[in-house]
Amino acid sequence: MLVLVLLHAVVAAVVLSATRLRGTVAAALGIAVFAATAVTAALQGIGSDVPATQSWDWVPDLGLQLTTRLDGFAVVMVLLVSVIGAIVLAYSASYFEPGPTRVRFTGLFIAFAGAMTGLVAAADLFTMFVFWELTSVCSFLLIGLNDRSASARNAALRALLVTGAGGLCLLAAVILLQVAVGTTDLAELGSRSPAGAMVTTAAVLALTGAFTKSAQFPFHFWLPGAMAAPTPVSAYLHSATMVKAGIVLMARLAPVFGDLAVWRWLVVVCGGTTMVLGGLRAMRQTDAKLLLAHSTVSQLGFLTILVGLGIPGATYAGVAHLVAHAVFKAGLFLGVGAIDHATGTRDIRRFSGLGREMPQLAVMMGLAAASMAGVIPLLGFATKEKALVALLDADAGAATVVALVAVIGGSVLSTAYSMRLMRGLFATDHRVIDPEHVHHAPGGWLVVPVGLFTVASLLGGLLADAVGGWLQAPARSLDGVEHSSLHLWPGLNLALGISLAIVAVGAVIGWRVPDEVAASPVRVSGEQIFQRLFDGLLTGSKRITVVTQSGSLLAYLAVVMAIVAGVLVAAIVTDPLAGFDELTWSDGWMQLVVAAFAVVFAAAVIAVRERFVAALLIGGVGFACAVLFALYGAPDLALTQILVETLTIVVFLLVLRQMPRGFDAPPAWAPRVVRVVISAGVGITVAAFAVMVSAARTAPSVGETYAELSLPEAGGKNIVNVILVDFRGFDTLGEITVLGTAALGVTNLVRMARRRRRTASDAATAAAVAEAELS
Amino acid sequence: MIAALEGPPIGWFDLSPLLVLLGAALVMLVVGALLPRWPRGLYAAFTATAAGATMVLAMVLWDDVSDQGARYLVGDAVTLDGFSMFATIAIAATVLLACLVTDDYLRREQLDGPEVYALYLTAGIGGIVMAMANDLVVLFLGLEVLSLSFYVLAASHRRRSAGQESAIKYFVLGGFASAFFLYGAALVYGGTGSVRYDEIVAAVNTTLLVERKDALVLAGVALLIVGLAFKVSAVPFHFWAPDVYQGAPTPVTAFMASAGKIGAFAAMLRVLTEALPQWRDDWRPVVWTIAVATLAVGSILAVVQTNVKRMLAYSSISHAGFILVGVEAAGHTAGEADPSGGVAASMLYLLLYAVLVMGTFAVVSLVGRTGDDQTDLDGFRGLGRTRPALALGMTVLLLAQAGVPLTSGFVAKFGVISAAVDQRSYAIAIVAMLASVIAAFLYLRIMVSMWIVDAEAGDDAREAVRTPLSTSLAVVLSVGFTLVVGFAPGWIVSAAEHATTIATAVAP
Repeated sequence: MLVLVLLHAVVAAVVLSATRLRGTVAAALGIAVFAATAVTAALQGIGSDVPATQSWDWVPDLGLQLTTRLDGFAVVMVLLVSVIGAIVLAYSASYFEPGPTRVRFTGLFIAFAGAMTGLVAAADLFTMFVFWELTSVCSFLLIGLNDRSASARNAALRALLVTGAGGLCLLAAVILLQVAVGTTDLAELGSRSPAGAMVTTAAVLALTGAFTKSAQFPFHFWLPGAMAAPTPVSAYLHSATMVKAGIVLMARLAPVFGDLAVWRWLVVVCGGTTMVLGGLRAMRQTDAKLLLAHSTVSQLGFLTILVGLGIPGATYAGVAHLVAHAVFKAGLFLGVGAIDHATGTRDIRRFSGLGREMPQLAVMMGLAAASMAGVIPLLGFATKEKALVALLDADAGAATVVALVAVIGGSVLSTAYSMRLMRGLFATDHRVIDPEHVHHAPGGWLVVPVGLFTVASLLGGLLADAVGGWLQAPARSLDGVEHSSLHLWPGLNLALGISLAIVAVGAVIGWRVPDEVAASPVRVSGEQIFQRLFDGLLTGSKRITVVTQSGSLLAYLAVVMAIVAGVLVAAIVTDPLAGFDELTWSDGWMQLVVAAFAVVFAAAVIAVRERFVAALLIGGVGFACAVLFALYGAPDLALTQILVETLTIVVFLLVLRQMPRGFDAPPAWAPRVVRVVISAGVGITVAAFAVMVSAARTAPSVGETYAELSLPEAGGKNIVNVILVDFRGFDTLGEITVLGTAALGVTNLVRMARRRRRTASDAATAAAVAEAELS
Repeated sequence: MIAALEGPPIGWFDLSPLLVLLGAALVMLVVGALLPRWPRGLYAAFTATAAGATMVLAMVLWDDVSDQGARYLVGDAVTLDGFSMFATIAIAATVLLACLVTDDYLRREQLDGPEVYALYLTAGIGGIVMAMANDLVVLFLGLEVLSLSFYVLAASHRRRSAGQESAIKYFVLGGFASAFFLYGAALVYGGTGSVRYDEIVAAVNTTLLVERKDALVLAGVALLIVGLAFKVSAVPFHFWAPDVYQGAPTPVTAFMASAGKIGAFAAMLRVLTEALPQWRDDWRPVVWTIAVATLAVGSILAVVQTNVKRMLAYSSISHAGFILVGVEAAGHTAGEADPSGGVAASMLYLLLYAVLVMGTFAVVSLVGRTGDDQTDLDGFRGLGRTRPALALGMTVLLLAQAGVPLTSGFVAKFGVISAAVDQRSYAIAIVAMLASVIAAFLYLRIMVSMWIVDAEAGDDAREAVRTPLSTSLAVVLSVGFTLVVGFAPGWIVSAAEHATTIATAVAP
C-alpha cells in the first residue's frame, strides 16, 4: 500500500507541476491510479488470511516507521476511497469549467486520496497520525485553492484548525501510548490490553482527535461550514472519506479501549448528541447541500455510536453502515450538484415540478434518499436494522440504553429530512412563485455517477445477504469475532417493528414540517465557543503586543534590568554572603568628603536638563574617584583616571556640539513611580551585590603573588610596570596592536571625509564658474 | 637569562575551518577595499566557496575525531569534537545560503560590495568559536565577534532608516546583555576559581563542597543564562528580535535567525551541560520557565502581526522555545555518562530550522521587491497566481515550520518533544504542542495570503516579483533539503546523535 500511496503522490506532483496538462488527461491519470489501487487492494487483501504488511523505516533512530497493513477493514476502506474517488473525479471533469483550476483540483484530489489511502491502511497510530495531518492539509488546499468566496475560505480555515488540533491530540496519544505501552501498533495494542492512568488519558486524547475529524459534538460545527466547497469536494471529503477518518480511528481503537467507562460514555453521549442535533439541524435547512451536510453530521454520530462502543454486533453493523452511508450520501451530493448545475440554485423552497423535468435524476436520488431513510429493500435498511438488533441485544448497561434512544430518535429524523429533501426538490408545490427550471440539462457525466451510486444502494439491499457475507472479514479484522450477517428480510422481530415505526413517523414529520421552520438560523454552542476562543486569541494577542512590544528601548531595558536585579537578589537570598560585616567604611575624613562630592555629582546628573552640564558632572564623579585612588596611595592609577576622564569629557564636548542643548523629556513608557522604583532598585541591587561579592573573596589575590615575584623574577620595583611589560606583556602587546589598528582606521576615515568634502566643494566651484560663464 | 617562551600547541589543521573563514574575511576586507569593484557575483561566490570549504574541512575533522577521539586545542581553550563540528557545518551552511540570497539582494538595492560578506564570515567565526569554546572568556570573545558583526549587518542597508534604528536598539540592548554575561562569568570564576568548563566541574569536587559559595555561582549562572538567552531571543529577553528582524535587510535577518541561534544555543548547551552539570537542578527550572514563556509569547504574538518579517521574528522566538525544550530535556541527565537525547535533538533542530528559515526569508527578500519594504501580508497577495513555483516552495517551507509530517520541521519538533517525554517532562511537551497549534495559524495566514486572498485593484501595477538565479537556487536548496529530510530523516538524525556522543565523551 505504501508504494501505491507514493504513486498517488508522484502522480499528484506531476499533475500539479505540469500546468499545460489538459483536464481530461489529468482526470484520466487520476482514475488510472485509483483503479490500480482498488485492484491491488482487492487482489492482495480479499481472501488472504495473513494481511499484507508493508513497512518503511522512516527515522530508525527515533524508532519511527510507517507501516500499512491490508486487513479486511483496510481493504473495504481502500476500496471505498479509490472507487468513490474515481467516480467523483469523473464527475468533476464535467462539473468544473476547463482550465488550470481543474487541473490543480485534480492534482490535489489525487494527493488527498493518496493520504486517505495511507490513513485507512495504517497499521499503527503513528502512521495514521502522519496521514491524518496530510489529509487536513490537502483538504485545506483543495478548498482554499478553488474557492473565491470569503465564507468558504473562513470555513476552510476553521476546519483546518479544528481537525489539525485534533491531529495533535492524536499525536499526544501516540506519544503517551509509546511511553506507557511501548507500541502504537494497532494489532499489538489489542493483544496487550493496556491499562493505567496514562493509557486512559491517551484513549481520551485519541477519541478527541477522532471527534474533531468526524465532526462529533462539540466539534461538529466545522463540517456544515466546510460544505461551501465545490460539490465534488463535499461529496468526497466531507461525506465519503475524510470525515470517516475519525470513525476509522474509533473502529480500530474501540476493541482495545471500549471497556473503559469514560470511553464508552463519551462515545454514547457525544455520538448521540451529534446524531440528534444533526438531524434537527437538517430539518431547518433550505439549502439542499447544507441539509445533506447536517444529515452527514447526524449519520456520523450514528456511526460513532456503532463502531465506538466496541460491541461485536454493533461494530459489524457500523462497518456495514459505513459502506451504505458512503454510497448513498455520495449519490445524493452528486445529484444535488447536478441540479445546482442545471438550475443555478440549491434552495429547496424554489423548486416546483422538477421531478417532471428531470425524471431519471428524481428516481435515482429518491432511491438514494430512501436508503438514507432506511426503507426496505435498500442497503440502508439492512444496515440500520442490523444496528438496532445489535443495540437491543447488547448488555453493556445504561450506555446502550442511551445509545438506543439516540439512535431511534436520530433515525426518525433522518427519515424525516430525507422526505423533506425529496419533497422540496422534486414535488410540485403550487405555493412556489416563479420556480427555478432547468436551464441546461446536465450532461451524462453528471448523471451517470449518481446512477452508479443508486444502483449500488439498491443492489446492496437486494443482495444484502451476500454483501453481509463480504463484510464479515472486515468486521472480524477489527474485533476478531464472528458475526451474524446482514439480511434483506430479517423476519418479524422487535427491531423490524421499530424500523417500520421509525420510517412511518419520520415520513409524516418530513412531509408535514413547514419550510418556515428553517428561517430561524441557530448558532451552535461549539461554534460560538470556537469563535470566542479564536477572537479572544486575536484580541488578547494584539493587546499583549501593544503592551509588551511598545518599541521603546527604555522599556525593554527596564525589563531586562529588573530581571537581572531580581536574579541577584534571589541568589543572595538563597545563600547569604558575608554581607557588610567586615566592610570598612572609611580610612579618614578626607575620603568621606570626596565620596560625598561624588555622590552629589552623581545625583545632580539626574536632575540637570542640559547635556553639557551632565557630561561635566559625570566627569566630576570620575575625578572624585581619581582623588580616592590618590588617597589610597596609587598616584599612577589616579593619573590614568584623570587622563581618561579628561579625554572623555573632550570627546563628549565634541559630540555635544552637534546635538541639542537640553535633554528631551524622558519618554513615559511607564508611570513615574514604576520608573523610579526600577531604576533605584536596579542601581542599589547591583552596587550592593558588587560590594558583597568582593567581600566574599577567600582565595588570595593574584596581586600578592605578583608582589612577591616582582623583584626576584622580573627585577622591577614598580609592580604596575612589571605587570604591564612582563607578567602580562603579551596582553599589553595585543592592546597596543588593537589601538594601533584602530588609530589607522580612524585616520583613514578622517582623510576620506576630508577628501569627499574637497571633491564636493570642487564640484560646487566648478558649477558656479560654469554658471558665471553662461551668464 | 631568557628561557625560550613555549606557546601552547595549536593544532593548526584542527583549527582549519576557522582559519579558512578568517582568511576569507581578511581577503574580503583587504583586497576588497584595495581593488575596484569585483565583477558581478564574485564577492558572493568567493564567500560561498570559503563556506563550502569550511563545511568540507569540518566533515573531515568530524571523521577524524570519531576515530581519534575528541580533544582540546590551543591550550585547552577550545574543544574539537563532533558537537563543535556539527555546529560548524550548520553555521557554514547558513553562510553559504546567505551569500546566495544576499548577492541578488545587494545588486537589486545597488549596494554591492565586500563589507556584508566579510561580516557574514566574521559572524560565522564568532558563532563557531562560541560552539567550540571550552572557556567562558573564549566564549565571550566568540559572542562579541558574532554580536558586533550582527549590529553592523543590521544597519548595512544604508538607505533604510528602519535598519539604522533597529541596529541601534540591538546594539544598546546587546551591549547590556554582553555585560551581564561577562559579570556572570566573573561570578562563576569567583565561585569556582576557573573559567574553563572542565576545571569548573573539577573545582566543585575540591573546593566548593568544603566552603559553599553558591550565591556567587548561582548568580553567575543566572547572568550567563541572561546573556545567552538574549542572543537566542528567549522571553523575556526577546524584545529586540521583532524590531531588528523587521528593520534589518531581509538576507541579514535570515542570517541572524539561523547562524545567531546556532552559535548561541550551541554555547548554551555546552556551558550548561559541560561546565555546570552540578547545578543542573538549579538551572533546569529556569530553562523550563524561559522555554514555556518563549513558546507562549512567540506563538501567541506571532498571530496578529501583519508584517511577514515580524511574524517570522515571533515564529523564530517560538522556535527558540522548542529548542529550549530540548535544552531542558538535556538538563535532566547533564554530566552523566549516558546523555539524554536532548542535546542531539536541539542540535538537529538548529540545523533543520536554520535551513528552513534561510529559505523562508529568501522568498521574503524576493517578495520585498526593490526597497525591501513590501513585506506586509499584502505583498504576498496573489503570489500563487503570478509565481506559482515560488509560492509552492514557500508553502512547503511554511508547512515545515508548522511541523507538518514529511517535512524536516516535523522531524525537528518530534525530536525535541520526544526527548522531553523521555525525561518525563510532560507539561513542557504539552505546552510545546499547544504552541505549535497556535503557531500553525500564523503560517496559514501567509499561505492564505499567497493562494487565496482575492486580487485587489492596483495589484497589477505593483512591481513584479522577480526570481533571480542565485536566490532561487537558495530556495530550491532549502526546499529540497526540507523535503529530503522530511521523507528520509534517518541519516541526519543519526548524524546528530553521533556528533553529540563524541562531544559528551570529552566531559570529565
